Amino acid sequence: MNKTKNALFSYSFIFPSALLTIVLGIYPIAWAFRYMFYDYKGYGTARFTGLDNFSRILKDTQFWDSVVNTFVYAGGKLLITIPLALLLAAILNRGLRGRQLLRGIFFMPTVISTAVMAVVFFTIFNSYNGILNQFLIKLGLSDSGIDWLGPKYAMLTVILVAAWGAVGNYMLLFLAGLQNIPEDVYEASALDGASKIQQFRYVTLPMLGPVMQMVIMLAIITALKGYESIMVLTEGGPVGKTEVMFLYLYKLFFPIGGGSAGVQVQEFGYGSAVAFVSAIIVGIISLIYFYASRRMNQTD
Amino acid sequence: MMKRTLMTSMSLVLALGLAACGNGNSGGGNAAEGSGDAATGGSGEKTKISYWTGDRHDADFVKEKVAEFNRANTDGIEVELVVKGDDFDTALDLSFQTSDAPDVIRVKENTIQTFYKKGFLAPIDEFLTDELKAKFPAMPDLNEFDGKRYSLPNYGTTMRLVYNKDLFAKAGVENPPTTLQELVDTAKKLTEAGKADGAYGFALNFKSPSSAFARSARVIAEMSGYGGFGYDFKTARYDFSGLEPIINAFKQIKDDGSMLPGVESLDIDPLRAQFAEGKIGMYISYSSEPGVYKNQFPAKIDWAAAPAPTIDGMVKGASGFLGGQWLSLSSKSENKEAAWKFMQFMYGDQVLTDYQEKGFGISMVPSISAVAATPDVNGIEGFLPNKNDGVWPIYPAVAPEGMKSDDAFFKYMLNGGDLKAVIADLNKRYNAALDSAIANDGIKAEPDAGFDPAGLGGKFAK
Repeated sequence: MNKTKNALFSYSFIFPSALLTIVLGIYPIAWAFRYMFYDYKGYGTARFTGLDNFSRILKDTQFWDSVVNTFVYAGGKLLITIPLALLLAAILNRGLRGRQLLRGIFFMPTVISTAVMAVVFFTIFNSYNGILNQFLIKLGLSDSGIDWLGPKYAMLTVILVAAWGAVGNYMLLFLAGLQNIPEDVYEASALDGASKIQQFRYVTLPMLGPVMQMVIMLAIITALKGYESIMVLTEGGPVGKTEVMFLYLYKLFFPIGGGSAGVQVQEFGYGSAVAFVSAIIVGIISLIYFYASRRMNQTD
Repeated sequence: MMKRTLMTSMSLVLALGLAACGNGNSGGGNAAEGSGDAATGGSGEKTKISYWTGDRHDADFVKEKVAEFNRANTDGIEVELVVKGDDFDTALDLSFQTSDAPDVIRVKENTIQTFYKKGFLAPIDEFLTDELKAKFPAMPDLNEFDGKRYSLPNYGTTMRLVYNKDLFAKAGVENPPTTLQELVDTAKKLTEAGKADGAYGFALNFKSPSSAFARSARVIAEMSGYGGFGYDFKTARYDFSGLEPIINAFKQIKDDGSMLPGVESLDIDPLRAQFAEGKIGMYISYSSEPGVYKNQFPAKIDWAAAPAPTIDGMVKGASGFLGGQWLSLSSKSENKEAAWKFMQFMYGDQVLTDYQEKGFGISMVPSISAVAATPDVNGIEGFLPNKNDGVWPIYPAVAPEGMKSDDAFFKYMLNGGDLKAVIADLNKRYNAALDSAIANDGIKAEPDAGFDPAGLGGKFAK
């Protein structure tokens, strides 16, 4: 009796979030699952087309280009973000004067809306009157400025902006991990004559393993799915140079430029299929990472 | 093991969740702004209705009119005005999915067909008196579908070449270009004269190639007798070859170094800001520009608008006069009567006359055009309809597999290649998509051998 009562009590807690998950999570996924086998433009009747959408994906060079761009973008973002976040966390974990303020400053980009952030960065990076170019020209480092959002540098620019937005968040997670490492382990290693660098390598990193595994996992998934700042900065351009998987997908559902362009046609059916394949790609990468990083999680 | 399975499934669900919704946080310039103009005082229950628009150029004017309606109407109707940003279409889609749809919807010539097909709009015939039917012209595919009316015209949009008169004078160029070759040459001369001050001959908002070409290459093609979006109304097939010389001219301007650096990431508003500062010699755009330079970005230069150039100087078609619709009634509205009362107010002579006279748009309603004064806005003269402005029929929009025409053209402009091959590929893919749309989506595309693009003009001005 008591057991049943307990179970009921537990279920009553689970129920609200389970309901929300079903309505907001499972239902849209089921919706997308259905339409990936259909040709559906958002009006009229959806037409069953079997696996046509998937054979179209195989031939869709724009999609595969966007997959490559996603890897470049995510890879670049992670390579900058993770070491930098770890370094900042390690520095701010020490008894540094003003560290609370610095933590706040580094974390700030996380709470600023991505769209607002990207608009601000646009005024910095745009090539005709951007602040950065004016600065470079004043210093005599460039004659006519650099086309930061042009074909050559656009990807680098969007990676830098993304890294700026993400580093504070991961720094905070690392910081939480660092603070869980007991001080006596450091004391013991110091008695054994370990230097600060050796302590970092042989104490901090291994003990941070489980946290780091989780943080990198989150970072990978977030980076692979990121598209908001790119949409504001370049809309995936110039000519697809910064078009990442989820931006390509977004445009299939909601074509950009609709307000002032010709009549736009939405592709819900094909978009759903692309969404599924994109999710599988993200899933596979996560699995590979999880398998490759299993040594980091020694507490199992 | 349990943990691993849990994490993997969590990542999959996270990824799929975003994929399925796809729209979680749209990010892009969402300047949605709710501005409920609550009527003060009054007793009893108010009938609340909402009006959604994506227009920003007339936002203050419309806000004022909504407030006026809320104050003056005696039926206890309160209109909430919602001005959306670039995400207007997306937000509307979602509002219909979530039963949170507005009562009155702003429709445009490039959205009304889609909204109609999606079932967002309710016919307004039951409300139309004979007087109203006579006053507002019915335009098939633009405000009338299957014999039923879904909107009424207010203003139309013309497209023109906008040019910096100061820079023209400085470069010693007297007249705006009338051919593509002159466009290329003028851009070069303007750049030579202005480059030292950071001014360039030509620019377009290529951050969104579809938006850039739809206001530029489109009107040049239309004036030259070709469908502006590559659709040939005579044969009812897609044929982009009419755009070839236009794209080549744009590429030439870019290769000459006469185009503003950074156009790849230039949006229309930053472009306007640069033009207002005198950094751009010419661009091609809609008749909303004069209002922009009056209110949004006060121009520091002397500027004017002229007809867009044609391919070879000969006008063989008509410059698109876009419009034929303004407000529509939502099919989901529970207060259609009240919503119609608001629409009736907005379509009243006073509002429509003010709309033109204040320079927000050029009236397409004959009885208003006849009495309303020329808009009191600098630069509007060049945008007023002339004998070469006309309403083009609606083309059957399709979703081709692979790259869209605008992206393919812009790619060619940046990277070069074989434009003829690009066009042949576009024709093939667009026609395949057209065939599929005809067979499966009920899209109609019938050849009209007698279609005469030159005959489209002359209906709004002689």
